[in-house]
Amino acid sequence: MTPETETEPTGSDQPNGTEQPSGTDQPTGVEAAELGAGVRSSAEPVWRRWLPFGLLLLGVLVMLGAQSQLYSGQERTVAAIFMFVALAQGWNIIGGFTGYASFGQVVFFGVGGYFTAVAMSHWGFNFWVSLVVSGLVAAAFGALIGLPLLRLRGHYFAIATLGVAEGMREVVTNVPGLTGGGAGISVPTVGKDATTAYLGNDGFYLLFLALAALSVLVAILVARNKFGFALRAINQDEDAAAAMGINTTRAKVSAFALSGLVTGLVGSTYAFQQVTIFPQRLFDVDITVLMVVMVVIGGSGTVLGPLLGAVALQFLSEYLRRNFTEVHTFILGAIIIAAVVLLPQGAVNYVREARQSGEWSLLANVRRYRL
Amino acid sequence: MRSKSKSLSLVAVVAATTLVAAGCGSKGEKTADSGGASGTLAIGASMSLTGALAREGALTKEGYELCQDKVNAKGGADIGGKKVKLDIQFQDDTSKPDTAAQLVDQFNDKGVKLILSSYGSANTEAQASVIERNGQVMADSAGADNKIFEKGYKRTFAVLSPATEYAASIIKAIKELAQPQPKTIAILSADDGFSKTVAEGGAAAAKEAGYNVLPTQLFPNGTSDVSSALTKVKGQKPDVIIGSVHLVEGVAIIKQAKELGVMPSGGFGESVAPPTPDFAKTLGKDAENVLGSSQWTDSTKGSDKYFGTAKDYANDINAKYGHAPDYHDAEASAACLALVMAAEKAGSTDADKVRDALASLDTDSFFGHIKFNDKGQNVYKPMSVIQVQNGKAVTVWPTDSAEAKMIWPGTKQ
Amino acid sequence: MSQFLQATIYGLLQGGLLALIAVGFSLVWGVMNVVNLAHGSFVILGAYVGWKLNSAMGLDPFLGMLVAAVVLFAVGYLLQRWLINLVINGPIFITLLLTFGLDLLIVQGMNITFSADYRSIKTAYAGDSLALGSVRVPVGRLLAFVIALLVTFALVALVNRTRTGLSIMATGMDRGAARLMGIRARHAYALTFGIAAALAGMAGTMVGTVGTFNPAAAGGFTLLSFVIAVLGGLGNMYGALVGGLLIGLVEAWGGQYLPGTWVNALAFAVLVLVLVFRPSGLVGRAYYSARQEV
Repeated sequence: MTPETETEPTGSDQPNGTEQPSGTDQPTGVEAAELGAGVRSSAEPVWRRWLPFGLLLLGVLVMLGAQSQLYSGQERTVAAIFMFVALAQGWNIIGGFTGYASFGQVVFFGVGGYFTAVAMSHWGFNFWVSLVVSGLVAAAFGALIGLPLLRLRGHYFAIATLGVAEGMREVVTNVPGLTGGGAGISVPTVGKDATTAYLGNDGFYLLFLALAALSVLVAILVARNKFGFALRAINQDEDAAAAMGINTTRAKVSAFALSGLVTGLVGSTYAFQQVTIFPQRLFDVDITVLMVVMVVIGGSGTVLGPLLGAVALQFLSEYLRRNFTEVHTFILGAIIIAAVVLLPQGAVNYVREARQSGEWSLLANVRRYRL
Repeated sequence: MRSKSKSLSLVAVVAATTLVAAGCGSKGEKTADSGGASGTLAIGASMSLTGALAREGALTKEGYELCQDKVNAKGGADIGGKKVKLDIQFQDDTSKPDTAAQLVDQFNDKGVKLILSSYGSANTEAQASVIERNGQVMADSAGADNKIFEKGYKRTFAVLSPATEYAASIIKAIKELAQPQPKTIAILSADDGFSKTVAEGGAAAAKEAGYNVLPTQLFPNGTSDVSSALTKVKGQKPDVIIGSVHLVEGVAIIKQAKELGVMPSGGFGESVAPPTPDFAKTLGKDAENVLGSSQWTDSTKGSDKYFGTAKDYANDINAKYGHAPDYHDAEASAACLALVMAAEKAGSTDADKVRDALASLDTDSFFGHIKFNDKGQNVYKPMSVIQVQNGKAVTVWPTDSAEAKMIWPGTKQ
Repeated sequence: MSQFLQATIYGLLQGGLLALIAVGFSLVWGVMNVVNLAHGSFVILGAYVGWKLNSAMGLDPFLGMLVAAVVLFAVGYLLQRWLINLVINGPIFITLLLTFGLDLLIVQGMNITFSADYRSIKTAYAGDSLALGSVRVPVGRLLAFVIALLVTFALVALVNRTRTGLSIMATGMDRGAARLMGIRARHAYALTFGIAAALAGMAGTMVGTVGTFNPAAAGGFTLLSFVIAVLGGLGNMYGALVGGLLIGLVEAWGGQYLPGTWVNALAFAVLVLVLVFRPSGLVGRAYYSARQEV
C-alpha cells in the first residue's frame, strides 16, 4: 500500500511500536484498531475499547428498525447492499489488511452458492446446515488453493486467483449431472422436495443483515488482535515480517481461508435467495471487481472503508439505474473515474490523513500520486 | 482529538444508515396506478437495455412500445366498459437474472401487478419465481425454455412456442418438403439451457422422422469459434447440420464451415439466427439457402383489432423504427397484446382475474393463435420455417403460409 | 490425423491474432505496472473504426486497420498522459479501478453510439480457404496471422533498436534513473500506452473481419490478454507471442479431444499451473524482475 515515491512522512499513519509514546495520546476505538498502537495499554478507557462493537450494535438495531419502514422490494434492494458490505469486508481481509489483492474472490461466492444448491437439491440438506457447511467448504477451498498461490506476489497472485475463479466456473459448467451445467440449478422451494421454507424478502433482509454484521465484527476483531497486526506487517514488508518471527505462510493462508469463509456464507445465502443459479452469475468476475472497487474507494485496510464503499456504490448504482435508465452504466463509469482520481487512497484514509495534515484540498490530493 | 474521532465514526455510521434508508425511498411510494381508476394502466417491464443481451432487449422494448402506441391510439384498452390507456414502465436489468427478479419485486412494491417479461429464458425463469410468490401476473415474450414451465408456476404465460419446437420445426419442414430425403443429421448446440432444450427437441423430432441422428456436439455459449465442433462432425459426413444457437454462433457455424470445407449435402438449418436481418447482412451470399425457424414472419396467418395482420405489423415497425421487424419485436408485442386482451376479457385489471382470463384466452392475432396449455405455454401456434433466398428470409413452411418454395438441397454440389 | 492437423493450423492462426491483442497489454503492464482493464474495449473500438470505414467508404479492413491503429494510438496517448498519469504513483490497484471505470465508459459509449447489434466486416476473400491436402487454411485468418507476426517483430525491433523504444524500456526498468538520464518519463509512458492501444485497435479490425463483434465482446478479450501476458512474462513481447500461440493451440486441441465445453477450463488450468511453477512466465527472463513488484 505504500506509494512508490512517497517523500513526506504521513505522521502517525505508519504503526511503529517504538515511536509511539504509551498511555498519553491514545487514539480511540476504531482508529486504535487501525493504527495498532498500544491498544492494550491499561490507560485506555474501557468504553473506548468497546466503541466499535457498540457502533456495530447500534447500526444493526437501526437497520432492524428500518425494516418496518421498507416495502418488500426495497427490502430486497437493501439486502443487496448488506450482501455487498459482507463481500467487501471479506475481500478486505485478504486484499486490504494483507495486501494480497485477490481477483478471484468470487470463486468462494460461487463455491458456497453451488455447494448449497447441490446439497439442498441433490442431498436433501436443510438450508441452515448447508449454510454452515458451505462456509466451511469455501474456507477449506481457500486454504487449499492458498497454499500454492500465496507464494506469488502482487499482480501474479491476482491473476492466478482470477484463473482459479474462471476455471472453477468452467468446471461447474461441465459437470451438468451434478450442477446442471450451463442450464443452471434450482434449489427446491415448493413441493415435497423443499427442505426449508423460503425465507422471503423479510427473512433474507435479516439474514443478509446478520452476515453483514458478522463480517464487520470479524473485521473489527482481526483489526485489533495479533493476527491482524501480523497481516498488516506482511502487507508492509513481508520479508521483514518473516524476519520478526511471523509465520507468514500460516498467516496468509488463514487470512485467505477466513475471507473465503465470509464470502462463502454470502454465496450460500445468495443461492437460496435466487432459487435458480447459473455459473456465469455465481462466478462472475464483475462481482470481484465490484468488491475491489467498493473497498478501495472506501479505504482499504480499514474497518469502516469497505462498509462505506459498499453502501455508497450499491446505492449509487441502484439510483442511477432507476433514474437514468439509458445511460446509467456510462455515468457510473465516469463517477468511478472521478472518485479514483480525486480520492485514490480511499475516502476513510483521505479523511484521516487530511485531518492530521490539515490539507483538505482534493486537487492537492490529485497531485500526490501523479507522475 | 479523541472525541472528534469518536464522533467521526458515529457520524459515518449514521450517515451510512441514512444513505441506505433514504436511497430506498420512503414508505408511501405507491405512485403507480394499477387499478385503472384514473384511466391509465401501469405495466412493469424489466428490459435488458445494457449488457450481453442489449440488442435483443432493445428489440423487445420496440415491440412493447409499439403495442402501447397501438392500444392508446384507439383511446386505450376497453376494460370493464371504460377506456384505459397503457403506461409501460421500463427498467434496465443489465441482462442479469437476479436484477430482473429484483425489478419485479420493486414493481410489486409500487403496486404494479401486471408484468411483461425480460428477454431470454434465464431472466424469465428468475422473474417467474418472484411473480409466483408475489401474486403478480407475467406475460412472457421471450422465455421459451420448457423447463421454466415444468415447475408448476401458474402465473406466467408464454405467447411464444416452446423451445423444443425451434429445431423440431426445421426437421418437420425437411421431412415434408425435401426431395430427396437426407439420411444423417448432425446437431451442434450452444451449452446454455435454452439451446440444449432446443437441441433435445430437434434430436427427438429427427429420430421420430426416421433420420440417423449423430450425437449432439456442444460448444460454449456465445463463442465465435465453433471450429472444433465442425471438425469433429466433418468426418462423419452428415447430410444436414442443424445448429441450436444464437446469432453469434450461428454466423460462426456458416463462416467456419466454409473455411473448413464442411459441406453437408443438404445444407444448414439453425435456430434464432437466420431470420434476423444481421445474419444475411453479415454472411452475404454464404447465407443463401440456410434454413431457420422463427416464432413469426410477416406472412404468418391471423389478425387482431389492434395490430391488424402480420403485414400491417411489419409496416408499422418499419415506419416507427426504420427496420424490418425481427421476430423478437413481434413476440414482445404479442405478449403485451395477450395482457391487454386478458384484461379486456376479465373486465378488470385485478391480477387474479387477469390471470384467469389469460389461462382461458383463445384468440387469433397478428402473431398467430394465442392460447395456453395448462402449463402456461403456447403450443397452439406452429413455428415458421424460413429460408434465406436472395438475401431475404422467406417463409417456406407451414405450406399454407409459405411465400416461396423451399430450395433443396441447400448446398449446390 | 487430418483432424489433428486442422486443429493445429486453426489454433496457430487464432493464436497469432490473440498474441497481437495481448502484446500491448503485456507491454503496458511490464513497463508501467498498469493493469489496463479497458484493453478489450480498445480492441472493439478498433473493430468499429474498421467497420465504419468499410461501410462508409468501402475501405478494405486490412488497410482500415492502419487507420484504426493511428486513431487508437491517439486515444491511448491522450488517455495515459492526461488521465491515467494522475494516479500512476498510487497504491497498486488504483490504476485497476481507473481502467475499470474507463472500460465501463468506453463500452457503454459504444453501446450508445453504435447500438448493441452484432457487426462484421465483410471482404470478398476472407472466407475462402486454401487447401493443403485435406486441411483447410482460411485466407482471412492466415492474413491476420501473418500481419500479427510482422507487427510483433516490428515492435521488438522498435523497442530494442530505436532510441524511443530504448527509452521506453529504460523507463520501465528504473524510472528514476531514466529521468536522470533526461528521458521524459511521462512521454515515454504515454507512448507505451499509445502503442498498446494501436496494436489492440489493429487486432480489433482483424477480429472484426474473421468473426462478429459487439460492445459486450470487450470483456472476453481483456481476460484473454491477462492469461497470455502472464504466460509469456510481463513486458516480454516474444513471450506474448508464444503465450498467444500456446493458448490458441490449447483451445484448438482441447476442443478436438475433449467435449467442446472444456476448452476454457483447460486454458485457465494451464495459466494457473504456469503461474505456480514458473511465475515469471514461460519464455526467457522476466524483463522487469529487478524492479520491485509492488
